[in-house]
Amino acid sequence: MQSFEHTIHCKPDFAMLTVKIPGGKTLKVEASAMATMDTNLIMKTKFKGGLGRFLGGESLFINEFTAENGPGEISISPTAPGDITHRYLNNETIYLQNSAYVASNPDILVESKWQGLTRGFFSGESLFLIKCSGTGDLWFNSFGGIVELDVTDGYVIDTGHIVAFTEGLTYNIGRLGGYKSLFLSGEGLVCRFSGSGKIWIQTRKIMPFAWYLNPFRPSK
Amino acid sequence: MNVTIEGKPVFSHLNVVLEPGESIIAESDAMANMSADLDMEAKFNGSLPTALVKKFVGGESLFVNHFKNNTSAPLKLALTQPMPGDVMEMELKGNSFYLQPGAFVACTPGIDLSVSWAGFASMIAREGLFRLKVSGNGKVWFGAFGGLIEKHVEGEYLVDTSHLVGYEPGFKLSIQMAGGIFSSVLGGEGLVTRMKGTGKIIIQTRSINSLATWVNRFLP
Amino acid sequence: MNIDIQYRPGSAVAKIQIADSESVMAEGGAMIAVSPNINVETSMFRKEQGGLISAAKRLLTGENIFLNKYTSSGGNGEVWLAPNLPGDLETRTLDNETIYVQGGSYLASSGDIKLDLSFQGAKSFFSGENLFWVKLSGTGQVVFNSYGMIYPIEVDGSHIVDTGHIVAFTDGLNFRITKAGSSWMSSFLGGEGLVCKFEGKGTVWFQSHNPSSFGGIIGPMLRPNK
Repeated sequence: MQSFEHTIHCKPDFAMLTVKIPGGKTLKVEASAMATMDTNLIMKTKFKGGLGRFLGGESLFINEFTAENGPGEISISPTAPGDITHRYLNNETIYLQNSAYVASNPDILVESKWQGLTRGFFSGESLFLIKCSGTGDLWFNSFGGIVELDVTDGYVIDTGHIVAFTEGLTYNIGRLGGYKSLFLSGEGLVCRFSGSGKIWIQTRKIMPFAWYLNPFRPSK
Repeated sequence: MNVTIEGKPVFSHLNVVLEPGESIIAESDAMANMSADLDMEAKFNGSLPTALVKKFVGGESLFVNHFKNNTSAPLKLALTQPMPGDVMEMELKGNSFYLQPGAFVACTPGIDLSVSWAGFASMIAREGLFRLKVSGNGKVWFGAFGGLIEKHVEGEYLVDTSHLVGYEPGFKLSIQMAGGIFSSVLGGEGLVTRMKGTGKIIIQTRSINSLATWVNRFLP
Repeated sequence: MNIDIQYRPGSAVAKIQIADSESVMAEGGAMIAVSPNINVETSMFRKEQGGLISAAKRLLTGENIFLNKYTSSGGNGEVWLAPNLPGDLETRTLDNETIYVQGGSYLASSGDIKLDLSFQGAKSFFSGENLFWVKLSGTGQVVFNSYGMIYPIEVDGSHIVDTGHIVAFTDGLNFRITKAGSSWMSSFLGGEGLVCKFEGKGTVWFQSHNPSSFGGIIGPMLRPNK
């Protein structure tokens, strides 16, 4: 499957993805992320991801846009202010944080994975990861800028800052140095990775942003 | 007068140098820093009915500030907007442009600001009943939440309604569902604006409404 | 200590590389990631007089009053730090100097820099703003963050800055609160309210945007508070 022609504008803070879908081909897109499109693109909604995704707080649906009678252009804007990265998967698997999926070729299998209570990412993040595997284009987004890290010996990352990682890395969730440290240091849970692979981190996380906006809410 | 737009596209703001005798008009509360010798005067934003309409419906405030350099040396001023995002400069030579309410940042003295009826189609699309019309001779600076992308449309184009910032007169706007009824409601795309015509449109790569919906999930 | 700032001015992150046994102090809650050979020690920031600052203050100002000390052992180490809000990061090398940084803007500093929260006027320089200020002095590097793009304004004479836009300023500058327009009426109606007039010679770090303004715009769209 050939890579679709695409551009990512306004990196890294308000990234928008524009994809030129070849005639007769289809693009899978995160529900409600479409910003603009050519009129010859036909949209169909698919029920995807199963219960897992619903519990994770993310919408259940992925839209499929098919270009009829020639190529069509679509522009996609995620909700969070932040970055978008493209990766062409070559018969690989990548795990994405629950709200990071933007779009992919239909050949990529997109599934929800339950991480289990002890391995899920807490502190506001969902217990589910999105597993993307196969061959084709994958685009994912972040809150803040995306930094790609090549990890050989493991790394310690705050769970709220993880966007994606390659299969092959193993991890466990813990606290940064003991219980006392958790509450005093202000860090939430951290993820200790071992093994080698790539990890994508984001430069902001949602919880402190929500706290900052909390005082501006209307009162009942 | 020399005006540069800094911090694009995430924290755009204007750095202005006013020569002796020159003045610039800015949205209320837009001044971030300025030379102590500049004169600032709050003026009523147009005639009383227009100003009131603008305030309660158009999202602009009742007053604008006129900054004037009454000294004999150039003076500096920085103007900003309340949300993070992009700012664009547009030069008008007797032509006009329609903008989303709240997008106005600043203009030179020859520009006229007025509020006009946008039609019921606009209301259904959650845009609001009114739109801001800028016309005259001079320069206007406007901005929005997210990055700004200028697109030339020939024929027709579909735009998610919360992503449309501005457009040239001459476009015919209508509302439609993004997909079939099932698709539109569940697929999250909902209503989109169909633009028919030829000319320039400006889109923003994020929407404050979507951001608020996303943040709501994480609020206590 | 090598500080590399990426993704300015909106999603800025600091990648700090420290040598074996070197350490860097940072605001609690700022950590994104650390390489495996970094040790982390937590301390609570105390007022000079000895009392603890209440946790309530943290919520008010958004500033974590806990500090983490990151030390590398068994080789060089890497620490990635970021502030809570979208915005910028700026570094400054202090050479036996003092600067005042808005409480929520302190991110990190090298081990020898002294932090002081209890100096005269620390409570709030600007009435009406819910802020506190940190006095940083000594020799070393400091990193501070902002909401909006940050840059230094060299003041030599006088300059007016809207109070919501001040990140930090050097010791020695005089400042006073004043009105922006030619009359009080003008200031108030023009939405500017009170502004700060800096006089003298020094540097003011300015942020292009005001976090309260954005809060005011998105606020009405958020779920109401119970």
